Parts: sequence; C-alpha cells; structure tokens
Amino acid sequence: MLDSFQESPYGQLLLNWAVVIGSVLLCLLVLPTRFPGMELLGVGPNWLLIWVVAWSVNRTVFQGAIAGLALGLIQDGMTSAHPTHVLSLVVAGVLTARLQKQRYVKEDFISIALIVFGMAVVTETITAIQFSWQGIGSNTLGAYPTLGEIWVYHQRIALSSAILSSLWAPVVYYPLNRWWERIKLPDSA
Amino acid sequence: MYILRRWWDRHGIRAGIVCLVIAAAWGVRQNQGLFVVEIYQRLSRPFEPEYTQAEIEENAAVLELQQRLIELENQNQQLQQLLDYVKTRPDQGIAAPVIGRSADHWWQQVTIGRGRRQGIQVGAIVSGTGGLVGRVIQVTPNTSRVLLISDPTSQVGVTISRSRHMGYMRGQAENRAVMEFFDKVPDVRAGDIVSTSSFSQLFPPGLPVGRVESVNLNKSPAPEAVIELSAPISHLEWVMVFPNPKVVDSEVFSGN
Repeated sequence: MLDSFQESPYGQLLLNWAVVIGSVLLCLLVLPTRFPGMELLGVGPNWLLIWVVAWSVNRTVFQGAIAGLALGLIQDGMTSAHPTHVLSLVVAGVLTARLQKQRYVKEDFISIALIVFGMAVVTETITAIQFSWQGIGSNTLGAYPTLGEIWVYHQRIALSSAILSSLWAPVVYYPLNRWWERIKLPDSA
Repeated sequence: MYILRRWWDRHGIRAGIVCLVIAAAWGVRQNQGLFVVEIYQRLSRPFEPEYTQAEIEENAAVLELQQRLIELENQNQQLQQLLDYVKTRPDQGIAAPVIGRSADHWWQQVTIGRGRRQGIQVGAIVSGTGGLVGRVIQVTPNTSRVLLISDPTSQVGVTISRSRHMGYMRGQAENRAVMEFFDKVPDVRAGDIVSTSSFSQLFPPGLPVGRVESVNLNKSPAPEAVIELSAPISHLEWVMVFPNPKVVDSEVFSGN
C-alpha cells in the first residue's frame, strides 16, 4: 500500500515533506537533552547545524539559505533571539551548498564529518562576533560578558561542538540522504 | 503580464512553499518555540527523575542549613536596627523537574517541566539543593525556561555574609562566577559565604548563592573574587520555584 502511495507524485511529495518536517522536529527535540556520550565540557552536538549541512550538501545555494533561515528562526525561539542564530545557520547552508562536494570528494561519511566540523567552527565564530558586537555597542557596564571571556569561551565551545557534531553527523545525514536518493530529489524547495 | 504568468506557472508552488516555511519558522520564533517545548515535555515525562517533593525539600534544607545559619546570624544583628524586616523566602514553592538544558551552547539555561498552569510566572526565583539557581525568563503552559545565574548575562547583586561588603556577580559558565566589589578594599577571604544583597533588582535579599573560592584584590577597576556556586548547576535534576516578591516593581524582564 505504501508503494502505491509512493507511486503517485502527490503521495511522494507529501511523504517527503513528512520526512523533512519529522526529521527537523526530531533534531529540535534532541537539542535540549544532554545524554551521556553526547556531551563534552557541557556542550552537546549542534543538531540543527548537522541538519542544515545534510540538507544543503546536494542542493542549491538558495535552498541552503532558506533551510538556514527557517531553522535559525526556530532556534531563536528556543533560546534567545539576541544574538540571532539565523545568520550563522544561513552562512552554513550557503557555504555548504557552494562547496560542490560531489566534484571534489568521493567518500561520503568522512567528507560530511569534515564539512560539519568546519561549519561548526564557522557558526560558533559568527555567534562570538555577534556577542562581541553587542558588548561593544552597549554602554551598560558588565551587562554583557567581556571580550576576553567571550573568546575564551568561544574556543571551548567551537572545539567541543565541532568534534561532537562531526561525530554525530552521520546519524542525521545517513538516513536523510538514503531517503532523498531514493526519491531522486523531486522538484520541491 | 505573460512573463509574470509563465514565471508563476513554473515557480508558483515553490515560492508558495518557501513563504510557508518561512512563515511557519517565524511563527515558532514568535511564540518562543512553545510548540516544540510542549512536545518535548510530553515525551520526556516518562524519564523525569523520581523524587518526592518531601525528599527534595529535606535535602535542600539540610544542605542549606550551614549557609543559612551564617547568613541569618549576620542578618540578625542588622535586623535589630531595622523595623521593616521582609521575610527572605516565601514558604510555598513548586517542585519542578529539570527536563532539558539550553538549546544552544552560548546560553546557560534549563527548561523545567512546570509552567503557567502550575502557577509559575516570569521572574519567579528558582533554587536547587544548596542555593540559588536562576530565574524564570519565559513560561509556556507546561514548561518554563530558566536563565541560570552561571550565565554571563545574568547579573546578581550579592553580599559577603560575614562582612556585608557588597558587589555584583557575573556567571562564568559551569559552576563558577566572578564577583566584583563596590569597595576598593573589601573585607573578604576564601571560604566566605555569599548571598544575594538588598541591591539586587531581580532577587530578594538573603538567598544563599555560594562561597568565595579565591580573591584578587589587585584587579582593576574593582577587586574581584571567584565564587563557587553552591547549587550543583551542571547536574540539576529537581528545583524549587518560588514566586518573586520583587517582580511587581521591576520592569526589566525582557528576558534576553
């Protein structure tokens, strides 16, 4: 029955959207947890970043940017909108889509892990820059962390987040990629 | 017109979907991820640590006793001169399980599994076993988000219990915080108990916070002390939420 459902174009489209939304929801729900083995120095993997990379790797720059925008807005809602997560995730989506992975690298798992590692460093750096900017922009004494604190913290976060995210990346990437390969990337945003 | 029509035929659905996705994401952002945390609360309910309310209260009481004693002894001396003594802690608290940590790496927040329906309001004080933990910055029907005092943006007016020297404290992630003194030469030494001061705009005075770990009097512009928070911030399981008496006269709850 599932097969006949998949045959029809609308059925497939619906199923694809269910997979997309379901996987994003799953990532969102894992985000506030800290299971043993998923935590390094109090920092967990950046699941939304992994999702954005998995999505953007075989898609256009525009699609990557939209995914980054949507997930960034949601993450803003779940933590704090100042500084915003939109910027860092959009940059991650665009850069990943620009990489043109299939042209240079063959091996999937390793390359995805590497891309996620790089993007994690990029996103945390963008956030740190935004924090520094906020600190400079405001005159209230001590309301924001000092520059020194931000960048010491940044080193710690960027490294542990990059390591953990790249290690956990295949968990998100593999099933999603299998699914998208199976339906041969239908014409949807 | 024709070009527009052709563009629409070709990209109409796509444009519609893009708008829809962005609108949905914007919606989630505007209601502060309400939808997601509520589902999360439902799913995580079976895994909530099981303590009875009595157990939590007993543990907290025992662990706080030493600190509270020193605090109260000193406060007592002062109160002899004061008439308008305000009780430091309201009696009825709500026990709440910690169901999630911060959803990104830059904020020190936790999500607790009780919300508006159980009577929690924005600005409520959250304390764990051993002392102050943070304050509620956002509530949904069944969950609340707590900004921990270990967050760098979380500032608390604090005082050294022994000498009553004042300062303010800024979180440093994990269970450390830095206290900057108002005085140039404060009377402080390692091991002193630190509690919230009456200058704090967000917390009532006299709540135990932690103890002084080391002191740096030469620090410019103000002397500093490193404070070890007494509540186990990195592995909280249950917390107590108390209504905040200061919440009425303060407007600084943008919650960022």
